[in-house]
Amino acid sequence: MPSAALERAKFLVWLAAIVAASWLSDAAWLAAGLGLVLLAAGRAVFRLTRRALLATLAFTGTVSLTYAAWFWWQQDALPLDWLVTVNLRVLLMALLTFLFIERTNLFLALGFSRRLSFLLVLAVSQSLALRRTLDEFRQGLDSRALVRVGLRDRYRAAARAAGWLFDRALANAHESARAMQSRGMFR
Amino acid sequence: MIEVAGLHHDYGGQPSLVDIAFTLAPGEKVVLLGSNGCGKSTLLKILDGLIAAKSGRVDYDGQAVSPSTLKQPDWRRRFRREVALLFQNPDVMLFNPSVYDEIAFGPRQMELDDVDARVRHWAGLVGVTEFLDRPPFTLSGGEKQRVALAALLALEPRLLLLDEPAAALDPRATGWLVDFLADLPVTLLVTTHNLGLAPELGQRALVLGEDHRLLHDGDIEPFLADTERLIAANLAHVHRHRHGGLEHRHWHGHDWQ
Ligand SMILES: Nc1ncnc2c1ncn2[C@@H]1O[C@H](COP(=O)(O)OP(=O)(O)OP(=O)(O)O)[C@@H](O)[C@H]1O
Ligand SMILES: [Mg+2]
Repeated sequence: MPSAALERAKFLVWLAAIVAASWLSDAAWLAAGLGLVLLAAGRAVFRLTRRALLATLAFTGTVSLTYAAWFWWQQDALPLDWLVTVNLRVLLMALLTFLFIERTNLFLALGFSRRLSFLLVLAVSQSLALRRTLDEFRQGLDSRALVRVGLRDRYRAAARAAGWLFDRALANAHESARAMQSRGMFR
Repeated sequence: MIEVAGLHHDYGGQPSLVDIAFTLAPGEKVVLLGSNGCGKSTLLKILDGLIAAKSGRVDYDGQAVSPSTLKQPDWRRRFRREVALLFQNPDVMLFNPSVYDEIAFGPRQMELDDVDARVRHWAGLVGVTEFLDRPPFTLSGGEKQRVALAALLALEPRLLLLDEPAAALDPRATGWLVDFLADLPVTLLVTTHNLGLAPELGQRALVLGEDHRLLHDGDIEPFLADTERLIAANLAHVHRHRHGGLEHRHWHGHDWQ
């Protein structure tokens, strides 16, 4: 059973590390930080790295490409340092966060603040409900598919699920805000 | 037709079905009763091969049903054609651009040449002809449920699994559904927690208790007359009633929730 104090300490370490990572502008230091985190991840290192890369690829990929294109168009040298630093930083932050979430009992870590705990409960329950709903939509399509479902139907079902979830999320956001207000938040 | 033995299921350690065993014979109409969260929807999804039970087996005409056996194309084609599940939330099974396409979805996969006739036939029987051109998501809950039903029936399944089909229906539509299902030449398993409706839907009841075990399998009438067991299944309860100045307590089941 992890103790609340230990979990809170992990939270503070994570917070400090995130702040540090966003201040450091020296690629060497960032790389060193990345090395430390990878070491700390132990056996989970490949799984976590893969997840962090997938999660950040869209962002860093777009940003890097846009900058590279911009500088190439300006006939300037590529700002290699800058690109390396940004990519290292984003990857480091993502890895830190994934590692933190995996190794910490968030409910204990945030237990010191009623407000943070409350937000955490909201976030977790929303994401569980979201996952359940997405499962149900997948099952709905599966149950009606006599043959392997084609791309078009998959796309339609996904779009429908997204539309449904969007409506729900809007309604839920209103409800949640009202519920939190009635319990004394936002004052 | 369906044979279930030693079925267990849990979601992340929380049991939702414990040691379930029963059989369904062709042509039977059976009601699955149970209070909220006792595992009715989970059981139907396992019977439809959508989720894999943690242990135990489900056979349909002697062949094992599970997400993995249904990867086999011939078996999938036959099973999905003959067994249909109406989800508790019909939204999750409606994704076509119009009600017409929704009902045609199954027949088109079978590459039948009477798709149009089938669509119009079942739309008429279920009473959704006037919505054929509308996108399903713009309909009301009860209308969606009927569209989903028509979409399933267009394949003329042998076994129909219905999860709370009356929950979104008004009394008139419910009366219609009861008569409609009684005349339908299919094997039927329907869930409900509406005790008033249950005996209209089938003669045999399967009752899931709050411990997620099968509490009763047999004739429905004696079960409904057994107050102790109704309370044990959390299908009836005691609460106060106020009539004018008088107040008294007695048990009862709630027909409409
Ligand atoms: N996708 C899921 N993930 C986790 N738990 C689930 C999931 N689906 C259902 N459960 C849990 O499993 C139990 C049985 O759920 P199920 O939906 O089968 O009940 P039910 O009898 O259909 O209830 P209701 O009458 O409310 O429809 C419940 O405790 C529910 O919270
Ligand atoms: Mg249910």
